[in-house]
Parts: sequence; C-alpha cells; structure tokens
Amino acid sequence: MVAIGGKHQIINLETGQLDRSVFVDPDIYAEEQEKVFGRAWLMIGHDSLVAKPNDFFHTYMGEDPVILCRDGRGNLRAFLNMCRHRGNRIVRTDAGNTRNFACAYHGWTFSNQGELEYLPGEEEAYYGALDRDCLRLVEARLDTYAGIVFATWDKDAPSLDDYLGDARWLLDVSFNRLDNGTEALGPIKWLEPVNWKTAVDNCSDNYHVPTTHLSTIIVQGRHRGIPRLTHEQQFQSESKHLFVNGHSLTMRFLERADQARQTHGITADNREAFEAYYRQTLAEAERRLGSLRARRLQLGNHSLFPNGVLGLRLAHPRGPLQTEFWHFALLEKDMPEELKTALRRGSANYNGVNGIFEQDDMDNWRGVTNSALSPIGRKYTQDLSMGVGHDRRHPEYPGVVSERYTSESNQRLFYRRWEQFMNADSWDDIPLEPKAMRYEGTATLRG
Amino acid sequence: MEMQPATDSRLELWHELMQFYIREAWLLDERRFREWLDLFTDDVFYFMPRRLNIHRSEPERELSPVGDLAIFEDDKTYLTMRVERLETGMAWGEDPPSRTRHLVGNLVAEPQPGGEVKAKTAFILYRSHHETEENVFAGYRDDVLRPTAGEWKIARRTIVLDSNVILAKNLSVFF
Repeated sequence: MVAIGGKHQIINLETGQLDRSVFVDPDIYAEEQEKVFGRAWLMIGHDSLVAKPNDFFHTYMGEDPVILCRDGRGNLRAFLNMCRHRGNRIVRTDAGNTRNFACAYHGWTFSNQGELEYLPGEEEAYYGALDRDCLRLVEARLDTYAGIVFATWDKDAPSLDDYLGDARWLLDVSFNRLDNGTEALGPIKWLEPVNWKTAVDNCSDNYHVPTTHLSTIIVQGRHRGIPRLTHEQQFQSESKHLFVNGHSLTMRFLERADQARQTHGITADNREAFEAYYRQTLAEAERRLGSLRARRLQLGNHSLFPNGVLGLRLAHPRGPLQTEFWHFALLEKDMPEELKTALRRGSANYNGVNGIFEQDDMDNWRGVTNSALSPIGRKYTQDLSMGVGHDRRHPEYPGVVSERYTSESNQRLFYRRWEQFMNADSWDDIPLEPKAMRYEGTATLRG
Repeated sequence: MEMQPATDSRLELWHELMQFYIREAWLLDERRFREWLDLFTDDVFYFMPRRLNIHRSEPERELSPVGDLAIFEDDKTYLTMRVERLETGMAWGEDPPSRTRHLVGNLVAEPQPGGEVKAKTAFILYRSHHETEENVFAGYRDDVLRPTAGEWKIARRTIVLDSNVILAKNLSVFF
C-alpha cells in the first residue's frame, strides 16, 4: 500500500515550490542516509574494475565504506568495510588483489567470500567458543546492469531490473549498445561544499547550460569546431525529459544513425572517425536495441536515483553540506584506441574536477545549498515551476514525459521521489512503475 | 634523481631554471595567463595523473599511467581553451578570480642528451576564493624543458598532487 501524505512534504507539484531545508537540515540528512541510501540500489562501480578473481575495488554506498570484490570463484560481492570484531576498516587502499582481508588491529582475517577464516588465539583467548559463522562480513545485495555494478542493503528492495524499470529502455542506448560492453576508467575523486541533491537535480537542468557554461561553449566553438547552441535548440527542440522510478533522463533525437553522439571529446577534427565507428557498429547495435533505439535516440544529461550523476559518476553524501564526487570515464571496449583517447581526455577535461564545463557548476550548487542556511532566505521556497502542467504520460516513451527539453519536470519529480522514500516505512510503501515498454533487440539487463 | 657535484655549469643552469620557475609563479599569481601559456611548446603534454592510495609494496601502482583516466591530460589547445575561457568574463568558476600564491622550490635539474633538461620542482599552491574559501595544494612537477630560440619552453609537465581525494570544489587554477 502506498502511503498518502507523510512527514516530509517538500515539493508542491502544482506550483513547483520546493522547501529549501532539505539541503541543510542535519536531522533530514541523517534520516535520508537510512531511508534513501539504506534502501535504494546504488551504483558502486563497474565489473571491469575487478576484472580478475580476487581483485577488489574500494567504494561507498552513501557514507558506508564498501569493498567491491570478485571472489575466487569469479562472483562479484559487496561487503561493508568493517571488521566484525571492533569495527575497524579491513581495507585501507583504493584497490588491489587479495584472497582475504586481514584487520590491522587484532588480525581477524576474512575471506573474499565474507567468512571469518582466522583469528589469533581462537582456542585459548576465546576458549573455542566463538561462533565464526555469525561473524561474517556484512554483505550487500549486488547485481549488474551492462557491467555497471549496483548494490543495496535492503533485502526487501525489488530486483535491480524492476528498480531501473523502463529507464533502461533509454539507458541502453548509451550503456548497452554493443556485445562487448564497456570498461570503466577512474575515478577522479574530489570533495565539493554542496548538498548531494543539488548535483543530482542539476543533471536534468538543461536550462543552465547556455548561461553557466557560456565561456566554454565559446572557446570550444573557436578551438574544437563545435557549433554554439541556438535559441531554437535550447527552447524549441523536440528533445524531452523522461522520468521513471526516480531516474531522470534527457532523450535527444539523432538526425542520422551515424551522427556523432553529443559527447565531450568529439571535435570537428575527429567527427568523421566517430561517425565511421557508429556506422561500423550500427548493425550490431540494431540487432541488440532495435531500429528506433539504435538509429534515432541519444541519452542526454541524466541521473539515476538517488546519486548517480551523468554516466558512471557518483555523488557520495558527506554530511548535509559536503559531497564527494567520483568521476569515471565509461568507454565502449570495441572503440578504436584513438577514439577512446579522445573521449577519455574529453571526459576529464570537460567534466572532471578540472573540467572546463564542470568547474563552473560547483559555485552554483554551493549557492543553492547555502541559501537554506540564510535565516531569511530559507523562508522563501525554491521555484521549480518551469513547465508545470506540461508533462504527462506519452504513448511511445516511458514514464512522465515533458513537452520540452528545457523543463523542471524532472526536478519536481526527483524531489517527489525523495519524499516517497522518506515517508515510506518500507519498500512496500514505495511505488514502482511496472515495465511497459517493448524492448526490441537482444540486449538484456546483464548486457 | 641524485644530487650531482656542483660544477660552475651546473650551478649556472640551476640558477637559470630557478629564475624561470620564479617568473612562472609570478605570471600565474599576477594572472598573466597569456604570457604563462607562451612558456609551453606547441606540442606540450600537460598531465596530472590520479594518485592512488596503495600499499607500500606496490609503488608502481601509485600513479595512474598515461592512457588511464587522468585529472589533467591537456595539449596546447586544451590549455589555450582554459586561458581564453577566463578572458570571456563569463568563466564563472574563476570570475571573480581565485587569489593564488605559487611557492616553487626544491629544484633538481638533469641535463639530457640533445639539450633538453629534466627539471623537478616541489610546490605549495595556496588558493583563496570568494569570501572565505581556502585550499592548499601540495605536490611536485616533473618537467621536460626544451631550449627554443634562446628561451626555455616546457615541452612536458607532469603534476603530482599529494592528495587522494582532492579537498577542493574544483581545480580551476593552474599548476
């Protein structure tokens, strides 16, 4: 049963007014760690980061440190990085390869299947009375989507397939195009003085691009041959927002099937090489995704609920006023090396900590966050009214669809999704849209 | 790098390069970025790898190699775009601009066959932004300097920060 009302009422969908306290209130922050990050499927990494048996990669689920590893049998696993004795971290490095994790405090040693294998003095100090089976590493549920690893702490959460729902219908055009899949490079890690939600919300903010990023749009036009966004493209394009189960997607239409995707790193000089690549891979993509998705659709800015920000990028909450960003580059494995290099450089140089696009974003998010610290400012709601009444179900596309590319539909619905998690007692109270799209082609959740 | 005996020619080179780096630091801190850009060759590779948190037994894994995702992986065009962006008056992450102080020292210079010099320096970069924000970046730079028309130019710069998670909102300043 889906609860009506509830303690947290932050967004009014009819007026688009948002209560700013959600960005700074420490009690709300503590509660969302339990009710959002404790329940949702969270992106935590990629299978290419732990390609070999016994590889591990240290990651986070919200504030919880997590060891993503491939055990000796080749299975992916996600463990809380916490010794079951006193709670010390058993992994202190970013990544490595090991069969077991030994705690540096007292030597308790866990296998990469989570068993407490050994502890000093088991017979003498513990008199052989310790039940080692009860002291396994705390393990999260794990699943993968096209190589991207997700995990959840909630045993009652729906399957990852249902959690993504029909968002996957469009995500597939970026992440699930080819048989050989993708590989992840990175991450670049940095700490921003912003609430995590401001960055997630920004992933559907197509409105800010011509203002916030104008300086970079000018110089990339001058040096990389990338034409400036026109008023018509910004405000009259047929691109749309889609919102499914909390996931906020921008859908763009390609003019030609081999058109170079709107991706950082593609320039006038290499555009032909990218288009040749898209031509060469079109038949395979069409077999996997069907004609519409392989030839016509492109994924624009997007976020995955709660904290996946634009591709395989993570916004880890670090208190109400701080967020740790992780930027990965996700590349199709079959791409020629020279094109991978262009995308890898473009990825970091446009959108990393030094990115000539992204470095202009942080002060905006900080300003939005801190407005809620202002005693007068917090009495005024944030205005997310753009396009109220101009989003609805669509006969051809999944979820709630905005009429226009520039709209605050996805932002309003993101905060509504947050309310649904925060007001729910369990997953029974959190609505999920049933999958209704027809998935042409052979691609599946797993790749 | 091993310290070499101090011959006259080595001392002379050390002084010359130290002056080069002092001038570079002032160009950056006085926001004379066009002149700073002229210190680089047209084929420059300006590179900042990721610094991993790795056990002592695996030093070869501490820096992400070229070809992996790097923090900076710029050519002259990317560097030029960064500088020209600031001139538009609309690069909001640096407008109003950061107040920076580059302290550069610990220079070790190793002449290479063919006239190039490998020059390694340590730096502290202090940055103050807006009203109260502060960052301190520490690290070292490995440069390849090439004599070009009577001047030294930086043909390759590798910047290594002494940070794993970068404790700053962005890296909108130059290293």
